[in-house]
Amino acid sequence: MTRPSPRTVRRLIGLALLVAWEAIPRLGILPELFIPPLTKTLYVLWLDRAIYAAALLVTLYEVAVAMLIACGVGILVGAVVGGVASIRNLMLPVFSSLYAVPIVILYPVFTAWFGIGSESKIAFAGVYGFFPVMLSTAAGIRTIDEQYLIAARSMGASLPQLIIRVIIPASIPTVLAGLRLGGALTIIGVVVSEMLTSADGIGYLVTKNRTTLDSPRVFAAIIVILALSVVFDLAVRWIERRTLIWQIAGRRERPDARTSRGAMPAPATA
Amino acid sequence: MQHMANMSAVRDVSLTPAVDVRGLSHVYAGREGAVPALSDIALEVPAGRFVVIVGPSGCGKTSLLMMLAGLRRPTSGTILCDGRPIAKPDPARVGVVFQEASLYPWLTALDNVEFPLALKHAPREERRARAEAMLKLVGLEGFGTRYPHELSGGMKQRVSIARGLMQDPPVLLMDEPFAALDEQTRMTMGHELLRIWSQTSKTVVFITHSLTEAVYLADEVIVMSARPGRILDRIAIDLPRPRTYQMMATDLFGRLRERIWEQIRTVP
Amino acid sequence: MRGSIIILVRIAILAALLAAWEALPRLGLVNPMLLPPLSDVLKTLVTILGRADVHEALGVTTAEVVVAFIIAVPLGTALGVLAAENAYFGEIFRPMLFYVFSIPKSIFLPMFILVFGIGFPQKVAYATFSTIFIVIMSASAAVESVKAEHLLVAQSYGATPAQILRRVYLPSMLPILLEALRISMIFNFTGVMIAEMYAARTGIGHMIANWGENFQMPQLFAGVILLAAAAMLFNEAVRALENRCSIWRT
Repeated sequence: MTRPSPRTVRRLIGLALLVAWEAIPRLGILPELFIPPLTKTLYVLWLDRAIYAAALLVTLYEVAVAMLIACGVGILVGAVVGGVASIRNLMLPVFSSLYAVPIVILYPVFTAWFGIGSESKIAFAGVYGFFPVMLSTAAGIRTIDEQYLIAARSMGASLPQLIIRVIIPASIPTVLAGLRLGGALTIIGVVVSEMLTSADGIGYLVTKNRTTLDSPRVFAAIIVILALSVVFDLAVRWIERRTLIWQIAGRRERPDARTSRGAMPAPATA
Repeated sequence: MQHMANMSAVRDVSLTPAVDVRGLSHVYAGREGAVPALSDIALEVPAGRFVVIVGPSGCGKTSLLMMLAGLRRPTSGTILCDGRPIAKPDPARVGVVFQEASLYPWLTALDNVEFPLALKHAPREERRARAEAMLKLVGLEGFGTRYPHELSGGMKQRVSIARGLMQDPPVLLMDEPFAALDEQTRMTMGHELLRIWSQTSKTVVFITHSLTEAVYLADEVIVMSARPGRILDRIAIDLPRPRTYQMMATDLFGRLRERIWEQIRTVP
Repeated sequence: MRGSIIILVRIAILAALLAAWEALPRLGLVNPMLLPPLSDVLKTLVTILGRADVHEALGVTTAEVVVAFIIAVPLGTALGVLAAENAYFGEIFRPMLFYVFSIPKSIFLPMFILVFGIGFPQKVAYATFSTIFIVIMSASAAVESVKAEHLLVAQSYGATPAQILRRVYLPSMLPILLEALRISMIFNFTGVMIAEMYAARTGIGHMIANWGENFQMPQLFAGVILLAAAAMLFNEAVRALENRCSIWRT
């Protein structure tokens, strides 16, 4: 007797969850207030599609700007901190110590400064994504194999040549990892801040409908957010597949994340 | 009279081989069905012998050693050690020295050597004294408080050997113990091993990829075939003891080495 | 020598930042309503630390953090060990775990509120939920860090399963488990904060959110400083322990 493949089991679990989502409230095992049936949730999502689409657009705009800040600044600063030994020794322990602070406590500061519109979301999600992207880039830059640099120098490469022909290609996997992390984090940051204090966006729909106990509409918003993170994940994977050769190249066998302080792949805390 | 008694004792021990493998075969379950790994191995190692096993990669040398140590069960056949079967690890009868990096990094050299007796809950002073004696035997007196990362590769393997000898087993199994060392250290360690062996009169079964090392160390070299591993040849190494580095330059050494190489080379 | 220079430079940078925090609002370069001078914030910090309602809020938050931690860490460790030891189980659930990391766990807050209300149990439940996944992953990584050779040696010397657990698994896993403890506290603390800021009647996160809404900036900054200091203090304490245990890893 062979066991079903893990992938099959995963699909069955997913299917079972969907069936349970429909069956449990229908059979009255849990009240519909706790978990409205899947079909009912999808139905209100369709009814209110204009509202959800408009909210999603606001969220996407905030995510896009925050991602630009988190990834752009994060990768840049990370490259400098990781690449320049003196700055690294000076700042890396400080940054990785700051990472312990739950950044969400800064959100009230941002709403006080920037109001409850998109600006405070962008600021919060930008900062929220910045630290992990910066730390992972700093760690990744250091995994560039020194042999590549030595080999290029032995062949007489100048500094600009070294940067263009060796350092940048070798950093691509690190940059990609930063984008993936930063993207996922800014989505989380935007949704969290929209849920806390706001007047628009998909996270706001979760909170607004929760306070009126309109469970189907809460779950409809949750479905949209889950779909958003799935789509983002698939997109990143697609990019990664297209740049597979860079994934293999540029890195040492297995960069030991633990020997370098603060090099821990910093996942989302919220 | 005393002398005669000793002689007969030696005779008795030598009647029972230290290691006796009969009709041993092993098949393991691979991705595409059953894979025969070892086929009909018969091996008798008299007590006090130094036997070296060589063979191409993947010929099942390490599997065989694992079975001798009681760490793996053969599909069929018997393994006797001192006349009694080995069903599970028995460190009082068989000590094992592994490839590199098998020392526990969180224990000092002394604690690593003590480890087998610590498992047996031996009294502290007894095992400490024994471990210190073993470290002295392998030439590491005074290094007991060092951690493995503070020791060189050769020193680490000395600690491993001391650990293998801790319970004074009659048989010592060694799985490519010097493979990770540089050539010079490797030669020194081989020489050191022969010294330790002559002082302790163990039966040694030693696996290596290096033909020079094999000829230099062995009383007998066992040549194994590619998978499924079979014994192709058994070559007695009749170089005199104690071995010296100069012997490597002799014709006899070269011929023995050549003969092993021919066997391995012609393996399909 | 170099180490002390680095520390001096760090202190200089910190001093410059703090001085700017004090000077900019005082000189009117930034609006003191939005960024009160540091000295005002510190004075406020001393005042709020003397307030009974703040004491109560801190007590509640601490209790939530501690209870959630005590639930999440052993439970997550057990599940993580299971996932690592059972290859099949692990292969099924690992990709699901990775996916969970990429979704905002806060979207499940409404469900926690519906089921547990907005009191103590809901905070603990949500913080446990947001912490347990990282604990599972770290525990799996810790088990996988146990070297096969080390197990083999113990087996060849006839170690019992209990001895292998205590003498091989535990010391091998210790550095990673300590790191996991540190990281999961960050998750745990964040979880409690979000839950308190989202919907609560007490707790320091709730107070911070209120201060923000009411533009009580000195109080808000005092709270932020207090919480940040507490988080960093715990983090550094565990890291010091970690470094002591990881000497042999090099």
